[in-house]
Amino acid sequence: MPTTYPLEPKRTKATPWRRNGAISRAKKRGAVALTKDAPASAAAHAVDLCKTYGSGQATVHALDGVDVTFDRGRFTAVMGPSGSGKSTLMHCMAGLDRPTSGHTYVGDLDVGSLDDKALTQMRRDRIGFVFQSFNLVPTLTAGENITLPVDLAGEKVDQGWFDYLVGQLGIADRLAHRPSEMSGGQQQRCACARALINRPDLVFADEPTGNLDSNSTSELLGFLRRSVDEFGQSIVMVTHDPRGAAFADRVVFLADGRVVDQLDEPTADSVLERVRKLGT
Amino acid sequence: MWNVTIKGLLAHKLRLALTALAIVLGVTFIAGTLVLTDTLHNTFNTLFGTIYQNVDFQVRGVAQFNSTGPGGAPVRNPIPESVLARVRAVPGVGVAEGEIQGYAQYIDKNGKAVTTGGAPTLGVSFDPNHELSALRLVSGHGPNTANQVVMDVGTAQKYGFAVGDHVRILLQGPTRTFTITGLARFGTANNLAGATLAAFNLPTAQRLMGDVGKLDAINVAVASGANKDQVQHTIAGALPQGVEVVTGQTVVNEATSQINSNLGIFSTALLVFAFIALFVGGFTILNTFSIIVGQRTRELALLRIVGASRRQVFAGVLLEAAIVGLVASLIGLGLGVAAAVGLEKLLSGLGFTLPSGSVVFAARTVIVAIVVGVGVTVVSAISPARRAVRIAPVAAVSEQQTEDEISFRRRFTWGAVITVAGVAALAAGLAKPAIQLVGVGAFLIFIGVARLAPAVARPMSSVIGRPLARLLGTSGKLGRENSMRSPRRTAQTASALMVGLALVSAIAVFGASLSRSVTSTIENAISANLVITSTAKGQQAGFSNTVRPTAAAVPGVKATSTVYQDQFLVEDSVQNLTGVSTATLSQTVILDMTAGSSSALAEGQLLIDNNTADSKHWTVGAAVPVRFALTGPTTMRIGGIFKANALVGKYLVGSGFFLTHFSNELPVALLVATNGSSTTESAVKQALIGYPNLKIQTKAEFEQSQQAQVNQLLTLIYALLGLAVIIALIGIVNTLVLSVFERTHEIGLLRAVGMKRRQIRAMIRSESVILAVFGAVIGIIVGTGLGIALTSALRSQGLNELAIPTPSLLIFLVLAALLGLVAASWPARRAAKLDVLAAIAAE
Repeated sequence: MPTTYPLEPKRTKATPWRRNGAISRAKKRGAVALTKDAPASAAAHAVDLCKTYGSGQATVHALDGVDVTFDRGRFTAVMGPSGSGKSTLMHCMAGLDRPTSGHTYVGDLDVGSLDDKALTQMRRDRIGFVFQSFNLVPTLTAGENITLPVDLAGEKVDQGWFDYLVGQLGIADRLAHRPSEMSGGQQQRCACARALINRPDLVFADEPTGNLDSNSTSELLGFLRRSVDEFGQSIVMVTHDPRGAAFADRVVFLADGRVVDQLDEPTADSVLERVRKLGT
Repeated sequence: MWNVTIKGLLAHKLRLALTALAIVLGVTFIAGTLVLTDTLHNTFNTLFGTIYQNVDFQVRGVAQFNSTGPGGAPVRNPIPESVLARVRAVPGVGVAEGEIQGYAQYIDKNGKAVTTGGAPTLGVSFDPNHELSALRLVSGHGPNTANQVVMDVGTAQKYGFAVGDHVRILLQGPTRTFTITGLARFGTANNLAGATLAAFNLPTAQRLMGDVGKLDAINVAVASGANKDQVQHTIAGALPQGVEVVTGQTVVNEATSQINSNLGIFSTALLVFAFIALFVGGFTILNTFSIIVGQRTRELALLRIVGASRRQVFAGVLLEAAIVGLVASLIGLGLGVAAAVGLEKLLSGLGFTLPSGSVVFAARTVIVAIVVGVGVTVVSAISPARRAVRIAPVAAVSEQQTEDEISFRRRFTWGAVITVAGVAALAAGLAKPAIQLVGVGAFLIFIGVARLAPAVARPMSSVIGRPLARLLGTSGKLGRENSMRSPRRTAQTASALMVGLALVSAIAVFGASLSRSVTSTIENAISANLVITSTAKGQQAGFSNTVRPTAAAVPGVKATSTVYQDQFLVEDSVQNLTGVSTATLSQTVILDMTAGSSSALAEGQLLIDNNTADSKHWTVGAAVPVRFALTGPTTMRIGGIFKANALVGKYLVGSGFFLTHFSNELPVALLVATNGSSTTESAVKQALIGYPNLKIQTKAEFEQSQQAQVNQLLTLIYALLGLAVIIALIGIVNTLVLSVFERTHEIGLLRAVGMKRRQIRAMIRSESVILAVFGAVIGIIVGTGLGIALTSALRSQGLNELAIPTPSLLIFLVLAALLGLVAASWPARRAAKLDVLAAIAAE
């Protein structure tokens, strides 16, 4: 498989989301606003994002006015202590959770304006997910799991792209296996392939290496890094691990529901240093 | 353990509620049946008590033999009227009055015969003595002349008759017009359990319904102050041979016990269906508890770690089942009582007005309902409880393992053994025939097949799901995969539906065979063009003996044959005897003689069918000892043997012979051979217009109406089996809800990667349809087998055709698939509504 393949322009095939009824209908209604101040290079961004749980004395501000931009074609890591709002931020940006106030955008799509149907289509066609665990449907084979978003859309699988992904991830010989017959690392690589199969605008990875040994971890992170470098994939990864964060182009630090710091071109040491500083 | 059990129950309210629903429905059925029959029993007891309130003794003919069939009322001969004078002469007798009972059917103001739907249309003698009579005049006066009648209040109200109106009445002889002189009640009831009543004065009643100079019975009231035992003794001494005197209480007890045996058949039939429903419910419970135990593996293992013994875990699961069973039984009990009250009201609304009796709620009903409800639940939970016991404590801390692959071989060996034992029991039961053994056989077959079903669950789900996967894409594919995931769960869920559909299919095969047999039986027995029968049902299904001459006089009618039916004793066993006109026999009836000649009928000889001849080893010319209630024992010569035909019956004599051995017989059918033109047919109808109780049908119409009766019976049975099918569907709902709960994560993941709600629903529906079709396929296969076995076993009873109603069976399959869709609707909605984030976050 030539490595030049993915360098061809993105979306050589008809972009599925353009034919996407719910979203285009929403646009016609004017429900989907184009943001004026959105950086053209943003894959996703949040404006004054707040998320609170409970009420009165028990109110918890999971997100407390977050403004953040995830650049297109870049690998962003989100770090912070437990309860800092990392996962909540990711869930709100991906349309899995509704913010209390503020706006989130995927590309130029105002996520808050979408109904459930449009959100589902957005997740299917424009976002890829990799979770910490339970990434695969146990009844489907690895191959079927990878093509699931395409199958759900009723589209045809881009076989060349599929072959390229499974080749890169080294799971070509596992395609007929069920998740229960695969190692944790293989399962996560399979999940990565599924996240990328639709050439999404953005991949959200929520502690994807949390359950993996160090070998599998560096294999997986190496692949994510390559997908950014070689075909300009945008990735947002929530992580605890400073060495994992060092694979990113930029690290966003959260604490108590706010963005407290950012670090470009991180290394494991510089991240660790910053974490220590924030901790004190 | 108690505390843990209670907390567990509260935590799983929903799934247990669904489980309990299966038991609630079954127990409702049982409790309702018991309360209804107890109440009816009590009502009739009160009724008869009221009727014979003032009767101290009854003088009547001694019982000759008990007739067969429902009720089994003893056959008695009338007594000479002269006995009345003798009884009256006995010292201490206060009042003594003769009694006559027979057939009298009203014609309403529109010229239609008043029908009762099973209850008799009674004609009786009006007893002028109010002390003895069961009848209480409400208005007017008694019948004094031969043209007067007293009508029951029920009929008068329903058909708008009043004192002074004229009414036509169908009788054994010609139809007559009477003047209504009074309206009367039975005790406090407007009529006798739906029966209509026409009361004439005694001489008129004797002339119209009995024999002049004869009485059916004499009711006696003792003069005040007389010694009852002494009076009874003296009366007995004054009676001629063949006449007995019994106390009024004896008469009440006999009448009540007859009703009871009828009610017993009724309640047994209903209880059989209640049992079937509970049996199906048992599968649902077994399945639910299996799944719950599976889902609580960690929790149960944790209990073991902190020190719960195996016995405590086992007892905990059973206790949970017992509590669910108890609550469900109590609810079912309440609903059952309500249903019984409702049914009684419905019966009253349909005209079966009963004396007002309060609902009987016997302690036995409570005990049976609770014992059966709790019993079924606990027994069904034993196997899951044993599985719970096998959970190792380490399961609490290790990764959740997939459903344990139980030793398939052992399971299937047992399944095969049980199935074979069931088939053997069924075969033995059918051969004997012993209905209980047949039931046990079917029961074992169902359990055996249910144990074998997991072996085929995976491949069958795969095959059934293939078109769905093709049709619905990913959703169908996932539904198919889900149904293949746990063969045991799929098989257990489907087994409940299997039982329901097996019974439905067996009945369908049996019914189709019966229907076809009825047609061929009629084709092989009747050569007449027209068949005339009565619209009345039951014991009084006859019509006037003037119908035959009227029909015979119509131009174009070539021959008419009357058919009579009654019972006599052959070698001391009660048998049905058919009497048929001999002169016109060959033009109206087909008798396929295998030996002798049908002309022997005219000589007063007996014809028998070949099956009877074979089993009794009788040949033409043999002398057979028989006994008639009226004329006593005699010997009959076999004049011929004919090929068995259910319509003709086993024993056949000429009508002349028949009428001399029975009194006051009504024809049950008139066979008319015409020149075949429809003009003749309408002329016959026109001539008989004065007999609105007649059904005048061509042979084809007669066949259709007989088939319609079969279909009516089938519909009733389908309706009763419907409950079992509903419970099976609840089982599917339950399994799906539990599966959705179990797969919360997975559904969350599917939603996260872009599965729409609609697609989630389609996935759950596919799984449901696969479950339902799987159960239906096995059920239809097993049921068809059962139906064939049943039909073959009854070949000698006239079920000589085997028909497999393929269209009906296919419809069942399609209906099962549709019901699967219905069952999925709620679980599918639940699954689609799952909050994506919560589903992903759920750990």
